[in-house]
Amino acid sequence: MQELDTVIELSRLQFAATALYHYLFVPLTLGLSVLLATMETIYVITGRDIYRQMTHFWSKLFAINFALGVATGLTMEFEFGTNWSTYSHFVGDIFGAPLAIEGLMAFFLESTFVGLMLFGWGKLSRGKHLLVTYMVALGSNLSALWILVANGYMQNPVGSVFNPDTMRMELTSLPDLIFSPEAQAKFVHTSIAGYVTAAIFVVGISAFYLLRRRHIELAKRSFRVAALFGVFATVGVISLGDALGFINGSAQPTKLAAMEGLWETAEAPAGFNLIAWPNQEEKRNDFEVQVPYLLTPLVTHTFDESIPGVNDLEADAETKIRDGIPALIALQTLRENPDDAEARATFDAHQDNLGYALLVQRYAEDVSQATDAQIAKAAADTIPPVATVFWSFRVMVVTAFLMMAFLILAVIYSLRGTLHRHNWFLRLAPWMIPVPFIANEAGWIVAELGRQPWTVYGQLPTWLSASTHSVGYMVFSLIGFVLLYTLFIVIEMFLMVKFIRLGPSEGKHESPAEPTSQRHSSQWSEA
Amino acid sequence: MKQILIFLFWLLIAVVAIALTIVLGERGAWYFAWVLGTVMIVLIAAAGTAIIDARYEEHHDDQY
Repeated sequence: MQELDTVIELSRLQFAATALYHYLFVPLTLGLSVLLATMETIYVITGRDIYRQMTHFWSKLFAINFALGVATGLTMEFEFGTNWSTYSHFVGDIFGAPLAIEGLMAFFLESTFVGLMLFGWGKLSRGKHLLVTYMVALGSNLSALWILVANGYMQNPVGSVFNPDTMRMELTSLPDLIFSPEAQAKFVHTSIAGYVTAAIFVVGISAFYLLRRRHIELAKRSFRVAALFGVFATVGVISLGDALGFINGSAQPTKLAAMEGLWETAEAPAGFNLIAWPNQEEKRNDFEVQVPYLLTPLVTHTFDESIPGVNDLEADAETKIRDGIPALIALQTLRENPDDAEARATFDAHQDNLGYALLVQRYAEDVSQATDAQIAKAAADTIPPVATVFWSFRVMVVTAFLMMAFLILAVIYSLRGTLHRHNWFLRLAPWMIPVPFIANEAGWIVAELGRQPWTVYGQLPTWLSASTHSVGYMVFSLIGFVLLYTLFIVIEMFLMVKFIRLGPSEGKHESPAEPTSQRHSSQWSEA
Repeated sequence: MKQILIFLFWLLIAVVAIALTIVLGERGAWYFAWVLGTVMIVLIAAAGTAIIDARYEEHHDDQY
């Protein structure tokens, strides 16, 4: 059992490491693709060559990030099969469909058009090249959509039913899966977080150029378009963050309790823990600073609903475990004799809590003999690591508001044409580039660690989901992945810094193909 | 005749948009909000940048 626990922890660590590395690349791809389309739209509308140069320069940085994002993402899809084979068997019927659609539709769309976007300058007309850039943006975001539909299922399994004969979840409604509130809000939140990431990336590098008085024409326009693009996106990302919190309130109450550091059920109007030091062993906060009355409207969007705390949720989990045990016993009977009507009736009556019974199997192989202590231990497992989730959530929220304030200032200075008077802001902007990446990673930790101890919330515990590899195999592959992915990050940083230092090579690239007479004409200057 | 056809085209677009809103709204309208929001963000950023660019050029202002 101890070796199994080690393998599970190593499998989790490996997936977390690869996902966190991969997620350093993804948001920039999502956002920069749309920002490129925005810049190229201005070029097509105004006909001014500076906007073509802008699109061309930023698309080089996009290409570096895209290539490394794809390289780090591919291994993750295989990890489901290699390290999480029980999980893949259990939800393959549901999880497989969005992943296949992602591969066949979004990824192919994105990969095909990215080549045309990068190498189509001078070969495609302005309009066709713009269409290609929009296709890249659409493909990138559709890739994210299908992955997040799959992830949304793990957070809130809808549109499926467990089949005791095949021992797996089976899809009952594709629309329910695709349009689940969790999937929808998660996708929009993630996609728009990518927009903010790209906006701050472009603003930061443009500020670097402006401070050094290099490529001023390109940098000031890039700054302006990215600041405008980013300021609306930050408002969107914060709104969607609130929507996700609201959805989690009903779909994943344990995650919400951990996010808010709530040990006891909070009666309305509850205070919001601005800062706290959660102590999971003693089930209390060692220290807390509260803003009174704020939590209830924030989380429930009402003024009179209570919010369940960890202690009540644990008690509720204990009840569910006890209710689910007959379903697990009946399932074992059905595996030996599928025609046993009594076992099937028992299973049907208790199947809603089958997943909770699987939690106690970790401590009692024969669940019919499970002691109160073992059930209590399994119930305690239903609470995710509170301190990590609590603080990751706060890091995400604080950085989101920081980025919003930063982008509002960027818009004001840029629109008033007073950026040159605020050197402190230009110096600050490049240091803001890591902030959205920190927010993205913190958000991912809240979402995934907050879902524990489940791979599929309420249905399949993490401890049952992993493959049965040896510890040596897991350690070897984990070290291999960490070294390889670290190398990818070093390559990305090296290439990014190299191309940023080189800057845009203005005038050296061909414009999209068009008659010579039109090439230098500008509707804008004519007007 | 041409104007009637253009009017009918935009009327059709409006009807499709309303139908989409109703169908998607029942499922929770976040996808629809994403489409609408992204289009708005792109349009405002693009139009805003182009307009400000033109304004500065009108005043021969090279500042940033």
